[in-house]
Amino acid sequence: MEIAKNQTATQSQKLMVFVLTMALYGLATLFTELIPSFQAGVVEFSVEYFLFIPLTLAMLFDPISAALGAATGELVFSEIMLGQFGGLGELEKFLTVTIGVYIAGRMVRNPKNRKMVGIAAITGTGLQLFMGMVVDILKVQFAVEDFEAVPGLPESVYATEGFAFLNDLLFSGILFCLLPTMYLVPKLYGKIEPLLGMRPRDENTGLGGINGKVIAGCIAGFAVAVCAELLATSGMSIIDWEADWAESGTALAIGLVAAAVLAIAVIFILKSKSGRSQA
Amino acid sequence: MNTKKKLSESILDKISIDFLRNQVLKNAYGNDDTVIAALDPRILIVWYLFLGLVPWFVDNLWFLMGCFLLVLATTVMARVAGLVLLIFAVGVFTQTGYLLVVSLLFGGNASTVIPLLILTLKVATCSLASVTVFSGLDPDKLSNGLMWYGCPERLSFSISYAYRVLPLLMEEFQNILLSFRMRGNPPVHENFTGKIKYLIYQIKVIMHAFYPLMLNTAKRSRTTVEALEIKGYRYAAVNREVRKMKLSTLRVTYNDMLFLAVSVLWVSVFVLASTLV
Repeated sequence: MEIAKNQTATQSQKLMVFVLTMALYGLATLFTELIPSFQAGVVEFSVEYFLFIPLTLAMLFDPISAALGAATGELVFSEIMLGQFGGLGELEKFLTVTIGVYIAGRMVRNPKNRKMVGIAAITGTGLQLFMGMVVDILKVQFAVEDFEAVPGLPESVYATEGFAFLNDLLFSGILFCLLPTMYLVPKLYGKIEPLLGMRPRDENTGLGGINGKVIAGCIAGFAVAVCAELLATSGMSIIDWEADWAESGTALAIGLVAAAVLAIAVIFILKSKSGRSQA
Repeated sequence: MNTKKKLSESILDKISIDFLRNQVLKNAYGNDDTVIAALDPRILIVWYLFLGLVPWFVDNLWFLMGCFLLVLATTVMARVAGLVLLIFAVGVFTQTGYLLVVSLLFGGNASTVIPLLILTLKVATCSLASVTVFSGLDPDKLSNGLMWYGCPERLSFSISYAYRVLPLLMEEFQNILLSFRMRGNPPVHENFTGKIKYLIYQIKVIMHAFYPLMLNTAKRSRTTVEALEIKGYRYAAVNREVRKMKLSTLRVTYNDMLFLAVSVLWVSVFVLASTLV
């Protein structure tokens, strides 16, 4: 059995892992979207983070399927189903979640090793949160015109973002990512794999640790994420609207209005005609 | 004191799992008969791409206002569930509203308000446009529309699957929680320390509940994938013939054209106004 030597699951098994992670993480993110967070003093207690689900599954199964499944689940359940889809900006969340979960999954070679599981869980979470913070800071910096000129804004952005990062990492990260993962991984190990018709991961069947290729891929992914987010937010005039209006603004606008009115009239005529011919 | 207690109780009553499930289902399948739901998904996606992207690049207050009013009208037309709107409101505030408060704390003044107001208007317009399109449309129609534009089959499968599996998953999760509650022994929660203990207990139960849920979902996803494979899913997903058959129900009607034209008229009237003023 050559296939059993390294953990290259078959295509349908990968699909199973994808579906499993998507459904579970999607459900969890749906809850977090709906449950309001409450604050005690300056520390925010939110059930923000159910990242332990994809982390656990990425450590037990094929990491890339689990990572993509988690990101897709979040996108579909909590963004599209609730109508919170943010367009291009969602790409950033998608990529950061994928990278965080994937790295954590690759780090664990033997799921029975509790220490490694813990380190991987907190690394994955921290990575995802940190990337989110960097993107958020850049976003506000580019979105608000004259960022430096607005008094008090730069400091406030750094302060709130940095604090949110630490708060999330220390509170949500430990309570909702580290502890549940360390509880679930050893408990599920050897029990959940047969349900998908797979062999449990061990030292020999692991995918191997993180190498340069993985890191390069992740950095490239992060760069794409940053670009997407900035493109979605920045005032970069790819479409040079302002200039258009400045030159022949009124004429262009009148033309647009006239064209739209004409189009509506034509559609109405066509519609009434087609209605009559059908009747 | 008494009223306070009652208020918190009534809020907690509302946020039960059943309520969440009903709201989500209502949002997905409850409004098939609206004007928005009857439109062609491809047209709506184009419409969304315009209103979801263009406002980010424009700083003209009139234009932004016009777009915002347009998406407000379509959101009303789509009869979006109340919960979604509440989440939208909270989301907009957490994205920009808190920045305003904090920058005032750090010694900002009225000049901070205007850039942030524009930012808020942009965020609100884009999210309302997505609320209209993604919760006004039937999930199957939406995934067909996305597929027509060449989105990966995985994504449109995920959307259809998600809507179908969600009620099942929620029920299962609730059952597991109920069985934990039946067998569990929660700490006394009259005084303050007891309340904190109770909260920790609750969180623990939720975490523990994921253990059986994961195993059950693993079984279910294996069944799902096997059922898909029997029908040749992975081959069908990349086959052009199959795709054509799947998408043959999509049709652009005069209503769709009318919708687009009215939207263009509305926005261009505002553009005209901005150039005149």
